[in-house]
Amino acid sequence: MIEFGPGNLRVPKWSRPVYMVAFGTTDYRKRYPEKKLDELAMMAFRMMLEENDLKLDPLAVKGLINFCAYGEFADHFQDQLLCEAKVHDYLGLNLLPNVGVKTGGATGGYTMLVGANTVASGYSDCTLVLGWERMDEVKTWTGNYYIASAACKDFETRLARNYASYYAPMARRFQEMYGVSEEVRAEIAVKNRGYARMSPFSQQPGKHTVKEVLEGEIVSDPLRFLECCAMSVGSAAALLCSEELAYRLTDHPAKLYIAGGTDTLRTGDRRPMRIPLLPHETEKDYEWLYAEMQKQDGRWPGFESFGATRFAAYMAHRMAGVQVPLEDLDLVETHDAFTISDLQTYGDVGLTLYGREQDFITSGECYLKNPKTGKQGKCPANLSGGLLGTMHAVGATGIFQCGEVLWQLQGKYDKFHGDPKMWQRFGKQKPSDWESLQVRNPRRGLAISHAGVGSHVTCAILEKAWGGGAR
Amino acid sequence: MSERVKLNTTPSKIDAVGDAWVLNFPRFGAEGTHFHTYGLLTPYFKGLAEGRLMATRCTHPKCPVYHGKGELWLPPRADCPDCHQPMEWTEVKQPEGYIYTFTYVERGGTGLEIETPYYQIDVKLPGVATIVKSYLADRRPIKIGDRVRARFRTGAEATHTCLDLYFELI
Repeated sequence: MIEFGPGNLRVPKWSRPVYMVAFGTTDYRKRYPEKKLDELAMMAFRMMLEENDLKLDPLAVKGLINFCAYGEFADHFQDQLLCEAKVHDYLGLNLLPNVGVKTGGATGGYTMLVGANTVASGYSDCTLVLGWERMDEVKTWTGNYYIASAACKDFETRLARNYASYYAPMARRFQEMYGVSEEVRAEIAVKNRGYARMSPFSQQPGKHTVKEVLEGEIVSDPLRFLECCAMSVGSAAALLCSEELAYRLTDHPAKLYIAGGTDTLRTGDRRPMRIPLLPHETEKDYEWLYAEMQKQDGRWPGFESFGATRFAAYMAHRMAGVQVPLEDLDLVETHDAFTISDLQTYGDVGLTLYGREQDFITSGECYLKNPKTGKQGKCPANLSGGLLGTMHAVGATGIFQCGEVLWQLQGKYDKFHGDPKMWQRFGKQKPSDWESLQVRNPRRGLAISHAGVGSHVTCAILEKAWGGGAR
Repeated sequence: MSERVKLNTTPSKIDAVGDAWVLNFPRFGAEGTHFHTYGLLTPYFKGLAEGRLMATRCTHPKCPVYHGKGELWLPPRADCPDCHQPMEWTEVKQPEGYIYTFTYVERGGTGLEIETPYYQIDVKLPGVATIVKSYLADRRPIKIGDRVRARFRTGAEATHTCLDLYFELI
């Protein structure tokens, strides 16, 4: 709809708060022939139960689980319907109920949302949220066709059979509308792939330069090879609890808020709308943008922005009490499947005003160490390495992002990324120039999970819930 | 490399079931064919094969957005998403517009029927509420704002898919 009714903008009000207490993950690889899918899920499940300093034994924690939400993007990649049943069985969780969630690239995020709702409603005190993807049963360009089945089959899929070609027109329109240099996008690729170098879980870490990105092979003009994420295999698991149970399991739980939004599958079907304002924005902030759009035949959200992300952030910020995102959030994980989707998202979540998205990069506030000031950036982005550098095993992605935020809030970045044994576990050697990417005393972090060209999005906000961190 | 983009495809078989076209899409040989209906959008695909661009618009006076004076939808929809009433079909005569944005596709996924490289373009047409994704027959350099006209693959050339609509520079 392009005009909301009075009830449509109701902010979700859960019956009771939801906490995230533990996270586990595999490493991520383009091909993972060493393990079957359910074996990868077991790796993530075990890490979640065994390595998060929970106060009960792993099997005692398992004995508290009431419900499981499973995320898997595409049955045709797995070549298996009801994969949920196989994984659930393999983890030894029968006869507990489970549900499979499928919302494209946002599957991980929506699986978190579904899991959170089971706790918030009282259906469950303890919910397992687990996601996976196995994209290595087919060759890359067949995989690209499979992914492009998530474009409209009647009017779009045949026009490329490759998702980069649906993002590339957004990149072009964005750069022309807002006068953005291609170096800004390239810098995002360099940053996120560079951060991935510090992660033992990462699939394609790399020390790149802006020049190298821009001189690289073009996938779909203007997007270069290093601006696009890769096919990925792996699994991630999160444990969500009620308040009482969360503090029984850990002294360091995080409160979780999460909301969703949607938009049309076809970008071109997004008719002009008024921008739903975040708490810190006013109509006056956007007078210039509406005037500019008139000059350029532009529209919101159009090809430049994501209405689904704005809607999700509109709700999540209000649920979590986020007033000024750049001040109130200490880190973010965006869905950087492409450099352009990362850049577009800053406006949607309110880290900048719309039209000023590039300022978040050029100001240096997106870095752990702001290169302009030498101080910690106001809101470091994708310290996990993001989708570009670390992983996009689609059903796991939104869960992985929340997990990395949880570990940051708990001050556990080094425990999980810096221990040489963790690198050895995945057959890797910790780099000699490894640096900690732990944010100093973070209180709140945000994670965006995102599908299609913005058809489904969730915005999760995790908040430290101990030591004066709780609100 | 020719100056004009070609297709590497053979026309899909169509079954007519009542007014609807059902596209035959063989996945695993004849037995593994998918039968995909165009349903109420059949007039659009029939139109392309006859060299006509058919769009829909809402004329329902109680539509809260358009109040009976709907803009055109392309791709068309049979029902209005704003008031849920059936929309009306209209032919877009001599469709011309401009390139709203575009990409140059160097390589596509398995089964791509368009010869690479080619421009995938998003076209703004006057009076149309949406922006139409298509492809350009020309390969010479383009920019946002360049004017284009619609062209069609008709008769024996028709693929009976969205590929029957394409554009060329004016």
